[in-house]
Amino acid sequence: MMPKLIKKIEFDKTISKWFKSYDVIAPVSSKEGIHFKRIKDPKEIKLDGNQNSIYPPKNVFLPQSEVLFTVKNDNYEMPDQAPRKRIVFGMRPCDARAVWLLDTIFNKADDLDLYWGKRREKALIISVGCASMCSNGFCDTVGSGPFGKDGSDILITELDDAYFVDPLTSAGEALIKSLPEADDTQGKNAKLIQKGSVIKEHQAADLPRIREKLYEAFNTSIWKDVSESCLGCGVCTYLCPTCFCFDIVDEIDRSERVRNWDTCMFRVYSAEASGHNPRPTKAERTRQRIMHKFAYWVDNEAASGCTGCGRCISQCPVNLDIREMVQEITSLKIQ
Amino acid sequence: MDNLYEPIPMRIERIIQETDDASLRSFELSFMRDADEKAFFKAYNPGQFCQLSIFGKGEAPFGIASAAWEGKFVRFTVQNVGSFTDTIHHSRVGDSIGMRGPLGNGFPIQDWKGKDVVVIGGGCAFSTLYALTKHIMHADNRKEYGRIVVIYGARSSGLCLYKPDIKSWYQRPDMEIHQAIDVPEEGWDFHTGYVPDVVKDVAPSPKNSVAVVCGPPIMTKYTLPILVEIGFDAKDIFTSLEKKMKCGVGKCGRCNLGPKYICKDGPVFTLAELNELPLDL
Repeated sequence: MMPKLIKKIEFDKTISKWFKSYDVIAPVSSKEGIHFKRIKDPKEIKLDGNQNSIYPPKNVFLPQSEVLFTVKNDNYEMPDQAPRKRIVFGMRPCDARAVWLLDTIFNKADDLDLYWGKRREKALIISVGCASMCSNGFCDTVGSGPFGKDGSDILITELDDAYFVDPLTSAGEALIKSLPEADDTQGKNAKLIQKGSVIKEHQAADLPRIREKLYEAFNTSIWKDVSESCLGCGVCTYLCPTCFCFDIVDEIDRSERVRNWDTCMFRVYSAEASGHNPRPTKAERTRQRIMHKFAYWVDNEAASGCTGCGRCISQCPVNLDIREMVQEITSLKIQ
Repeated sequence: MDNLYEPIPMRIERIIQETDDASLRSFELSFMRDADEKAFFKAYNPGQFCQLSIFGKGEAPFGIASAAWEGKFVRFTVQNVGSFTDTIHHSRVGDSIGMRGPLGNGFPIQDWKGKDVVVIGGGCAFSTLYALTKHIMHADNRKEYGRIVVIYGARSSGLCLYKPDIKSWYQRPDMEIHQAIDVPEEGWDFHTGYVPDVVKDVAPSPKNSVAVVCGPPIMTKYTLPILVEIGFDAKDIFTSLEKKMKCGVGKCGRCNLGPKYICKDGPVFTLAELNELPLDL
């Protein structure tokens, strides 16, 4: 597919054209930092170097809270989904990869989650690669990279005076067919930027080995050690682009059955009516979180469930670092 | 396209008080729409479960305790343990209730054809085994299987489920039934003791046999090694697992056992499969 070009001076005009047929969701600046929202003016878009949003954009497809049904006289009615098509512009490759991973859960033809599916089929993802990696990012070690392609319909590389626009799917190609083609020099420059974006010292994680080591450590006390300072606040999971667990609750006064993001880091998450809890302490809960990312995802999809966005590291109130935790667990010598 | 989370409307047709302490009741639900009934029985396999839904109380999973041939209803045996089950216990004939299912894999009964089946249950977890036994013992199916041995334990005689049916099983020449209670009671003519010990005493032959074990975790934990000791292969020992669930369809992430979801990949697993999984139960 032929790469295209958006000159920076024509950026606003290009984006504005999409408003007619699409809702455009993009990163904007707020006092808490960058977050994704529907924009009305291209000038709102904030593409600042490698700054990613505090919240992952997974809520575009899996809202933090969403109505599954309005319930009247035991009749469960699914609310109408927004009919408009959407463009998610400025997603980072780590988060686009997360959508690609979550499609394996929610977007399977024989087992479709209608809520995710309807949003997803009407959305295009235009990612913007990161010319340099963000401070806590380690996307290049977990199967992705600052210009990773998984999940994106279009991948953008920022050049000096233009955006190099690389279509990755036919839907992406169709959206930008009227844009001018990029020339060879621009293509070469984009390649150089992409090449220069990774950190040379980073080594790809040996996922099969990590997986094996985590399983070996399953019944050890290492989980207690690595989770000692954890407060159990769950922020690591709420801000994780691939964490998808949800709770279903009934809001009686609104006559709605709602699903809300949930977290395996909470005690009540797995507590059973009998009083039994398979994960009674934060050691078991931390084990679940880490093993889900680095063992169970590997089992099921041969891919890391962590995309290396680094949010859980940046936002942890007690500075826990999942890289260090995995390192400590996998270097454990087991008799 | 079906919505995985949408309950179908059901009506409570019959409520059966199963135990003398009223902690266990069976509820037989009928379908309000023909299409739902058709879809259910087309898919249903013994060992599967459903999510029952009461708006305002939420949803919870229950094993299916009826065989398809019994009629156009679905039976659930519910123990009153929490707010959801308490609400069900206080419902009446004619009340409506939501249902999603059948969910999960169920017992691989097609693979068991031509084999002896040893059914081992304890407490209210006997419900899906009851459905299984009723299915196998039906005239249309009985000849497909070899010897049938049922071992069923409860804490006391008053806590035994499905009393009329189990009583009638003693009259059948084509099955073997062993009932047990934990402590001796006057007038109890059957086994006394815990299920694992009864299994040891009965020692069903492992030759061309499968064993199915459902019970409280502690019973299952001690029964599985005894079956191995008797000579059952781990691939021929089946059990059904439970964990807290929300969606029941492998999406909400709650009931995982390592990389498997009990709701979707289970609830029925072989001991061989469990031996490969981290026991996060």
